[in-house]
Amino acid sequence: MLIQLSNIFKWVQQGGRRVFLLKDINLEVEEGAFISIMGPSGSGKSTLLNVIGMLDVFDEGKYNFMDEPVHQLKEKHRSALYKESIGFVFQAYHLIDELTVYENLEMPLLYKKFVGSERKALVADMLDRFNMVGKKDLFPSQLSGGQQQLVGVARALIGKPKLILADEPTGNLNSKQGEEIMALFKQLNKEGVTIIQVTHSEKNAAYGNKVIHLLDGRMEKK
Amino acid sequence: MYKTYLKIAFRSIWKSKTFSLINVIGLSIGLSAAFVIGIMIYYDLTFDTFHADKDRIYRVVVDTQTPEQEGHSKGVPVPLIESLQAYSTGIDHVAPFFLFGFDKVTVESGLKEFDWPEDVVIADQEYFQIFKYQWLAGSSNTALENPYEVILSKSRAEKYFPGKLPEEVIGNTLIYEDSLVVKVTGIVAEFEERSDFTFKEFLSRESFRNSEKYGYIYDTSWGSINSSTQLFIKTDKFNSKVAVQAQLDALAEVHKNEEMAALGYFRSFNLQPLKSLHLNDNYGVFDNSSYRASADVLFGLGFIALFLLLLGCINFINLNTAQSTKRAKEIGIRKTLGSSKKQLVIQYLGETFILTLAAAILSLFFASLLLRVFADFIPPGLSLDLLKSPMVILALVLLLILITFLAGFYPGLVLSQFKPVAVLKNQSVLDGDKGRLRKYLTVFQFVIAQVFIIATLLVGKQINYLVNKDMGFKTESIAYIRAPSVNTSLEKYEAFKEVIKAVPEVKKLSIAGDPPASESYSGRGVSYFSEGKETHVQLQLLYGDENYLDLYGIALLTGRLPLNDSISEYVINETLMRQIGFQNPEEVIGQQFKVNNKNIPIVGVMEDFNQSSLREKIDPMAFIQDTQNSTLHFSFQANDTENWPLAIDKIQTQWKEFFPEETFNINFVDEDVRKFYSQEQRTATLLKWATGLAILISCLGLLGLVIHTTERRTKEIGIRKVLGASILQLNLLLGKEFMLLVGFAFVVAVPVSWWGMNIWLQDFAYKTALSWWVFLLSGVSLMIIALAVISIRIFATANTNPVKSLRTE
Repeated sequence: MLIQLSNIFKWVQQGGRRVFLLKDINLEVEEGAFISIMGPSGSGKSTLLNVIGMLDVFDEGKYNFMDEPVHQLKEKHRSALYKESIGFVFQAYHLIDELTVYENLEMPLLYKKFVGSERKALVADMLDRFNMVGKKDLFPSQLSGGQQQLVGVARALIGKPKLILADEPTGNLNSKQGEEIMALFKQLNKEGVTIIQVTHSEKNAAYGNKVIHLLDGRMEKK
Repeated sequence: MYKTYLKIAFRSIWKSKTFSLINVIGLSIGLSAAFVIGIMIYYDLTFDTFHADKDRIYRVVVDTQTPEQEGHSKGVPVPLIESLQAYSTGIDHVAPFFLFGFDKVTVESGLKEFDWPEDVVIADQEYFQIFKYQWLAGSSNTALENPYEVILSKSRAEKYFPGKLPEEVIGNTLIYEDSLVVKVTGIVAEFEERSDFTFKEFLSRESFRNSEKYGYIYDTSWGSINSSTQLFIKTDKFNSKVAVQAQLDALAEVHKNEEMAALGYFRSFNLQPLKSLHLNDNYGVFDNSSYRASADVLFGLGFIALFLLLLGCINFINLNTAQSTKRAKEIGIRKTLGSSKKQLVIQYLGETFILTLAAAILSLFFASLLLRVFADFIPPGLSLDLLKSPMVILALVLLLILITFLAGFYPGLVLSQFKPVAVLKNQSVLDGDKGRLRKYLTVFQFVIAQVFIIATLLVGKQINYLVNKDMGFKTESIAYIRAPSVNTSLEKYEAFKEVIKAVPEVKKLSIAGDPPASESYSGRGVSYFSEGKETHVQLQLLYGDENYLDLYGIALLTGRLPLNDSISEYVINETLMRQIGFQNPEEVIGQQFKVNNKNIPIVGVMEDFNQSSLREKIDPMAFIQDTQNSTLHFSFQANDTENWPLAIDKIQTQWKEFFPEETFNINFVDEDVRKFYSQEQRTATLLKWATGLAILISCLGLLGLVIHTTERRTKEIGIRKVLGASILQLNLLLGKEFMLLVGFAFVVAVPVSWWGMNIWLQDFAYKTALSWWVFLLSGVSLMIIALAVISIRIFATANTNPVKSLRTE
């Protein structure tokens, strides 16, 4: 079991009252799954994704990632854990504007302390795979949205993560570019990568093999 | 890893060029001021630090205590030398020397003459036992043992005997003043390190043992002191300073003047350590003409450097933290990709270091400009080369690292605390960052700038007041010419006077001593008896002929002038009159002072006037008719200034006829008065520069903050514009925040500068008022400058099309 969430609660205090962002979330994700999280704005989709990605903490409940109890881990261990196993893809791409495509791809490897030659090989692989060799020296601002998101996906993949978390990966793209990205996800999933995506679109959700509906922080029973 | 850090650093610096430039320039100005002043201080602190056993070398100095004041002299009575040589214990070497100015020296071989040889001392072999020179010829063991020997420094030997090797110079003969024939017996290399011991000719003291003309070199009076007679000692290897001091105390006790001691005059001999030689204001180095460092000046300079550096650093920190929020996104991404806080802080520190380094390099360039600005303060021989000495380099590196830490650590820490989720969700990470620290720092900067402005204005006001205040006598259109010190008889000078009198542009003449106000002081103690009580008064004496008071417009309140110069009669000033207990000038006429059992009657009372700079109060003073110190004072016809050069030409022509050998030197009294305040003028210059730089740095900082704020509030500005705000309203809205800071700084600066200026003014007997309008003026001017800086930027932002600014969000 890759992910095991049981009775996860997350809340904020507002005017003396608890406002629940996540309420009693129970979720199990097998390796190789492709899950779509859906729901209206403010239903807690992104919060759930961030909790899974260990970027955000929760207030109650248990979270095991690859049988490691995340809720008991220290910050350092947690950071090491997600550094190793999770790749993120964002709606707004979030590439570093000051770095070229090549350098953006290289950055996660730097934090994982890969040596120079290895980095070179891995980045070259990725560029090759995504047909971006000719663009490696361009800066993000010189690319179209679809191309930037490609770089974003490539960056998420370069560390060979077990899990990819994508927060509305096609939100800023036109429909054609969106389809390309989703096809890419499908392909990756076939190759064994677990994917959890947040999306508004039924069409994109259909690429996955399971859909979770959230409303006001609660999972809707289907 | 580090390569990408470096790349990121350069690209982000380049991306915000204006910001980086402001940042770097601000810091480099502060740094350059610190460099320049730092090496000035370093220069003065490293004099004579190279001598062997320097801790055991002392100069014997004389401190006097009188009822009125303390006195300090670097000269000692000559018999003290012999006493220490003969009887002392705990002292290895006793080395006296006498500074001596000969008129000329003749090199016998070529009959070449050199006028006024400088740096000549009369010493004995002990001098070379304490101060170890490198001997190019001759030897320290036999040096100056015999009469009629001279040791030359290398440069002096080359001057007198060009092209000769040191060994060839030995044995040659020099003739001082046409009569003193001496033989060169040694050549020494000058000290290469910084030293006050720059003597170039050492004559053996023995040469003067039986000389009448130079009798004081073997003087036997314990009572007289000449500041050119100086005495260095080196204690034994136990450095028994206390024992030596005890012997000096005993000598001072044995040889005290009972009569003077009864009047409250005491004298003590003390040891001045070699290391304090260069910086001690009380004694001075060797003679008064050479460059002297003043600990006070160094302290003041250090303070200014510190403040400018602080301003630069604050600027740097301010702008860096302001700028840092722009990096939030990058930080967020890095964190999700697995960067640790430590790595982020290191990265940020690295970037800061690059900027600091750039500033340091730029500041070297500024420093060379500043060296020229501070030229008045800078001793000859100081240059940026000093930056190469290892101590200075070490200090520089430490300073750079310190600044990097100060400026980079805080923003680095703030940044690394960002929650990546918040950053990446485009929630404002700035909500928590109200920039409070930045505001405090900005206020602090402006307080400093404001204090500098107020100080500059007030120092200027005080100087203006000093120069323009009525001294109590006429200073305009009066000049004087000192008689040549040699080859002049009074008769000849009187004849000269008569000739000058015939020059039509000259109005009044007088032969006298010094002008009414001067740096020199001659005085004497007198006694006054009244109702059986003796009052002792120290009074200043003013010498002149019967025209003197009239020439200088000093009114005689009552009585008459002294009859002639063969009878001693005093015309006293009002201060002296009041000091001996009289209020009415009429009554004091006929009273008598007693000087050396001689009675001197008071025949007149003159108005009070200031006898020196307005730092001092008016001293009790007496005018006597005496033309011994012959100086010719004369006034011009005041209304024809254009003819003065002509008149001066005529006078000079006459001078050449009377005294063909002597240089003609004319002094104007009003210029003399201005010269009293050269120290203050220098302070003013320095302050002006410090003020300019402080304003510049502060405004750069302010500009940076304004840029940051307007960028942050672009969206708000856009919305407001859409809703109908006018440009003026927007300006008011944005400017208010900054003007409040400047205004607050003003409120803080006023009491600080008021307090500081009060302390500075305490040195003056006559002081200008700390007028409220000076404070107001400086406050308003800084406000205007700040407003201008703010407006430039705000106008640009307010003018941008709101559609554009709203879309970018």
